[in-house]
Amino acid sequence: MSAHAVQQSSGMLLADRLKDAVRIGVVALLLGIPMLGLTTADQGAGLQVLTRWPLLAQFVGVVFFGRLSLQWLVSHFHLRKLQRQRVAAKTAVAQERPWLKWLGALALAIAVGLPIAFSGNRYVIDTATTVLIYVMLGWGLNVVVGLAGLLDLGYVAFYAVGAYSYGLLSTLFGWGFWETLPVAGGMAALFGVLLGWPTLRLRGDYLAIVTLGFGEIIRIILVNWTDFSGGPNGINSIPRPGFFGLEFKPPGDTPTFASFFHLEYSANHRVVFLYYLILMLALLTNVFVSRLRRLPVGMAWEAVREDELACKALGINVTGVKLSAYAIGAMLGGFAGVFFAARQGFISPESFVFSESATILAIVVLGGRGSQLGVVFAALLLVVLPELGRDFSDYRMLLFGAAMVLIMVWRPGGLVARREPTIQIETPAVQGATT
Amino acid sequence: MKAALKKSVVIAGFGLLGMLSAPAWADYSVGIAGPMTGEYASAGAQIRAGAEMAVADINAKGGVLGQKIKLEIGDDACDPKQAVSVANAMVNKHIVFMHGHWCSSSTIPASDIYNDAQIPMATVSTNPKVTERGLKNIFRIMGRDDQQGGVGGGFLAEHFGSKKIAVVDDKSAYGKGLADEMAKGMQAKGAKPVLRESITAGEKDYSGLITKLKAAGIEVVAYGGYHTEVALILRQAQQAGLKLTIMGGDTMSNNEIVTAAGGDNANNVLFTFAPDSRLEPGAADVVKRFRDKKVEPDGYVLYAYAAMQLFQQAAEKAKSVKYADLDKAIANGSFNTVVGTLSFDAKGDLKVPAFRVYQWKGNKYEYFK
Amino acid sequence: MGQFIQQLINGLTLGAVYGLIALGYTMVYGIIGMINFAHGDIYMVSAIISVTALTLMSALGISAVPLVLALVLIIAIAFTSVYGWAVERTAYRPLRNASRLAPLISAIGMSIFLQNMVQVTQGARVKPVPTLMPGGIELFTHAGFSVHLAYTQIMICVVTVVLMVAFTGLITRTSFGRQQRACEQDRTMASLLGIDVDKTISYTFMLGAALAAVAGVMVTVYYGVVDFSIGFVAGIKAFTAAVLGGVGSLPGAMLGGVLIGLIESYWSAYLSPEYKDVATFVILILVLMFRPSGLLGRPEVEKV
Repeated sequence: MSAHAVQQSSGMLLADRLKDAVRIGVVALLLGIPMLGLTTADQGAGLQVLTRWPLLAQFVGVVFFGRLSLQWLVSHFHLRKLQRQRVAAKTAVAQERPWLKWLGALALAIAVGLPIAFSGNRYVIDTATTVLIYVMLGWGLNVVVGLAGLLDLGYVAFYAVGAYSYGLLSTLFGWGFWETLPVAGGMAALFGVLLGWPTLRLRGDYLAIVTLGFGEIIRIILVNWTDFSGGPNGINSIPRPGFFGLEFKPPGDTPTFASFFHLEYSANHRVVFLYYLILMLALLTNVFVSRLRRLPVGMAWEAVREDELACKALGINVTGVKLSAYAIGAMLGGFAGVFFAARQGFISPESFVFSESATILAIVVLGGRGSQLGVVFAALLLVVLPELGRDFSDYRMLLFGAAMVLIMVWRPGGLVARREPTIQIETPAVQGATT
Repeated sequence: MKAALKKSVVIAGFGLLGMLSAPAWADYSVGIAGPMTGEYASAGAQIRAGAEMAVADINAKGGVLGQKIKLEIGDDACDPKQAVSVANAMVNKHIVFMHGHWCSSSTIPASDIYNDAQIPMATVSTNPKVTERGLKNIFRIMGRDDQQGGVGGGFLAEHFGSKKIAVVDDKSAYGKGLADEMAKGMQAKGAKPVLRESITAGEKDYSGLITKLKAAGIEVVAYGGYHTEVALILRQAQQAGLKLTIMGGDTMSNNEIVTAAGGDNANNVLFTFAPDSRLEPGAADVVKRFRDKKVEPDGYVLYAYAAMQLFQQAAEKAKSVKYADLDKAIANGSFNTVVGTLSFDAKGDLKVPAFRVYQWKGNKYEYFK
Repeated sequence: MGQFIQQLINGLTLGAVYGLIALGYTMVYGIIGMINFAHGDIYMVSAIISVTALTLMSALGISAVPLVLALVLIIAIAFTSVYGWAVERTAYRPLRNASRLAPLISAIGMSIFLQNMVQVTQGARVKPVPTLMPGGIELFTHAGFSVHLAYTQIMICVVTVVLMVAFTGLITRTSFGRQQRACEQDRTMASLLGIDVDKTISYTFMLGAALAAVAGVMVTVYYGVVDFSIGFVAGIKAFTAAVLGGVGSLPGAMLGGVLIGLIESYWSAYLSPEYKDVATFVILILVLMFRPSGLLGRPEVEKV
C-alpha cells in the first residue's frame, strides 16, 4: 500500500504513465463491451443484439486520456500538497471549532431568511422544507449512529410510525397536529425500544440486517393490513396544521389565516408556514440533542460507542444506555414523520422503503458521524443534488450514485469529521504517559 | 478542511441560485410527469414519446393560440415524495397544463399542488380516489379501476363462470383496487372466486402461488397488477404443468409481455383496455408516424398524445390559457382526440369510459372474439 | 403430500440461487469486514450480460444446450468478475482504513450507480429470453396433484453442488485459498508474512462476482425475464441468508440460502404469501437472539 503511494507521488515516467493508462483503458474496454458495446432490444420477434462500437470507442478513449491527464496532474501538482494538507487538517481540527460555529450561525441566518428572499418561489421553499425534514431525520439518527455507535438500517420504520400515527389519529379521531406530536413521538420511542431489545447482544453488521429487517417488517405490515393502514392506497386527505387554529384556505365562513391578518389569500402562505414549522422543530431537535450530549446519558452513549467492554466493567448499564439511544433517536424520527404526513397530506407505504433509510444513514455518515453541522451540509447535498439533476433526466440517479461514492472516497470521515468525545479531560500529557 | 467546507457551501449556494433563475416563458409550457427512471420506467418512456410527438405536431401546425408550446418533463420514479417535488418544480416553470402523473400514489399528492397553483391536469391514473377528492382541476382521460374491474369481472363470470377462478393482486394501490373490483364484478354476476391471494411485485419466484393454484385446481386467474409479474407467473405455471388463463387490466397492453411470458403463453392473457385507438381510422396517420420512428404506439403513448390534443383544443376553444377559462372549457367541452372523443362528468371522470376485452394473439392484441 | 414435495423442490432451487449470491457477501465480509451492498447489483449486471450472450448465441446459430450454457457461463463470469474488481478498486480500496461505515455508504452509492448505469445503457424494458431448456419430468401424482421437476431446476441444483465442491477445494487446498484465509484472520500479519493483501482482496472480489455471475446466468435461464432492478431484492435476500448462516462462514451462506428458500416457498404455499418476508426476517431475528453470530458463524472474540 505505502510502496504504491510512494511510487505515485515521486512522479512517474511517461512510459509508466502510458502503461498505467493502457491498463486502465483495457479495464474500461472490458467493462464497456457488455454494457456500452452490446445491447439487446426487442424488435418485434424477441430480442436482438445491437452493437454500438463507436460509443464504446469514445468511452475507452475518454477513460484512457482522462487517466493520462489525471496522472500527470496528480504527479506534477497536487498529490504532495494534498497529502500535506490532509495531515495538517487532521491535527488542526480542534482549532477550527470557532470557525465552524460561525458557519453554523450563517447557515441558520440563511435558513431563517430563505422564505423572505425567495418569497413566491414555491419550489425553493418546498425543497428547503424537504432538506429540513432530512436534517431532522439525520439529527435523530445521529443519536443512534453517531453518538451511540449503533448501526441502524431501518430508521425509516420510526419515520413511518410517526407519519401513520398522525395520519390515523387525525383522519379517524380528528386530532390536531400539536396533540398528535407527543403521542406519535411516544409511539415511535416505544417501537425504538421494541427494536432495541432483541438486538442488544448483536454487533455491527448483524445489527445492520436486523434493523433493516425491522424496517421492512413495518412496511410490509403497512402494505398488507388494509383495514388498519389503508394498505397500498395509504391515507388520504390528512388535515394540514393551522396557525394557532387559523387554517390556510381560501376565505370562507370561519376566519382563516389570510382573513385574520387581512392578507390576500395565497397558497404560498401554507408553504412558508410549513417551512418555518419544520425549521423550528429541527432547531428544537438540535438544542435537545446538544443538551443531551452534555448530560450523563449522552456521555454514556459516547462511552459505549468507544468501548462497550470497558463500560460494562465500569458498571455502566449498557442495556439502558443503548435502549435510551434507540428510544430518543426513534422519537425524533417519529416527530419528523408527523410533520411529513402533515405536509404531504397523503401517505402510503411507498414513502417508507429501504432506500429512504439508506439516504438518512448516508446523510449521517457523509456529514461526519456525530457532527450536527455536517448533517446539515450532507442533507443539503443529498436533496439538492438530485433536484439539480432533474435537467439531466435519465442520468440523474446515475450521477447521484457516482457522487455518493466520490464524496465518500474524497472525505472518508465525512464532510465535517468529528469523532472525539464531546467532553474531554484536558490532560494530554498524562494520557500520553499511560498508553 | 476549511477549503473543503467552503467548497461545499459554494456548491450548495450555486445550487439554490440555479433553482432560482426563472425561465423565460414566451411560449406556453406544458408538463408531463411519470416514472422516467425506476422500475416502471418503460411506462414513463411511453408517455414521453407520445407527448413529444404531439408537441412537435402541434408546433408544426402553428402552436396554440399563435404561441409555440414547450414540453417540461418531470421524473417522479413513482415515489410520492418526488412527485410533490416535481409538481412544485412544474409550478415554478409556470406550466399552463399538466399531463400526469402515472402512478395513482404519485398523482394524488401531486394533484393537490396543481390544484393550489390552479393548473388543469389530465391523468391516466385509474385509482377511483384520484377524482373522488373534489378537486376541480383534475380530468381523467382513461376509465376508472372500478369500471374496468367491473367489466373484467363480469366478462369472467359470463365466459368462464363454470371454471374455478382465483383473484390475485400484487399489493400495489393499482393492483389491489383492480382485483377487488374484478371480484365484485364476478360476484355481481353470480360467480364466486375460489381463492384470494396476493404476491409481492418485483420478485422473481412465484412458485408458491403456482403450487397453491394447482392444488386448488384453478384454471383462470383474475389478476390486478403489472404485466411483468404475469409473464413470470405464466412461465412458471407452464414449467409446473399448469395451464392458466389470466385476466388483467390496462397494464397488460404492454407488448413486453409477449416475449417475457415465453413461447405462446401470452395468448392466454386477456385484459380490459380502452378501445384500441390504433384501430381507429382517425389515428391511422399518427400511428404510422410513430411506427416510422420505431415507436409502437401502444399502452400510454396515444394517451399522452391525446392529452396534448385536449390542451390544444380546449385552449383554442377558451381563447385563453388562464386557469378559469381553460378549466371551464375542458369541463364543458367535448374533444376529438386520437383516443376517441373525450368529455368529462362533474368529478372529472370520462363520461363514456368504454372498456373492451382484448386477447394477445402472437405479438399483437385483438378484441376478444 | 404432492404439494409438500413440490415446494421442497422449488424451495431448494430458490435457495441455491440465494446461496450462490450469499457466498459472495460472506467472502467479502470475511476478508474486509464490510457489507458489500453493491453485490446484488453485480448479480444483476451478470444477468444482463447473460441475456446478451444468450441472444448472441442464438443469432450465431449455436443451439446445443450444454455448449450454449458453458459459453454463456464463461462469458458472464469473465465480464462480471471485471466488474467485481473495478467496484472494489474504485469504491472500497481507498476506504480500506476508514471507519466501518464509510465503505457501507460508498457501497450504497455504488449500488445506485450500477443500477442506473444499466438502465441508461441497456434500457428500462424487461429483457426476456426464450426458454433454453423447456419441459421437465413429472415425478408422480398424488391425490390429483402432479409433482413437476423442471430440467432447469435440476441444472441449478447440479451446478450449485459442483460449484460448492470446487469452491471448497479452492479455499481449503490451494495456495490462494490459504492466502485468502490468512488475510481473513489477520490482515496485518498476513502482509508481514509476504502475502500481497491488496491482490488477495481483489481476487476475493472477483471470485465473489464470479459466483454472483453464475447465479445471474441460472436466474436468466430459469425465470427467463431479467431487468435492471432485480439486484436489490436478491441482494437483500442473499445478505439475510449470509447473516442467518453466519457471516464469514462459507457453508453457512449456503445453508442460510437454502433455509430462506425453503421458508419462503413453504410459507407462501401454506400460509399467506404476503407475509413471507416478515416470516423470513422474524426467523432471522429469533436465530440471532439465541445465536448472535448466526447458525454456523464463529462467535466474535472480544479483543480487550
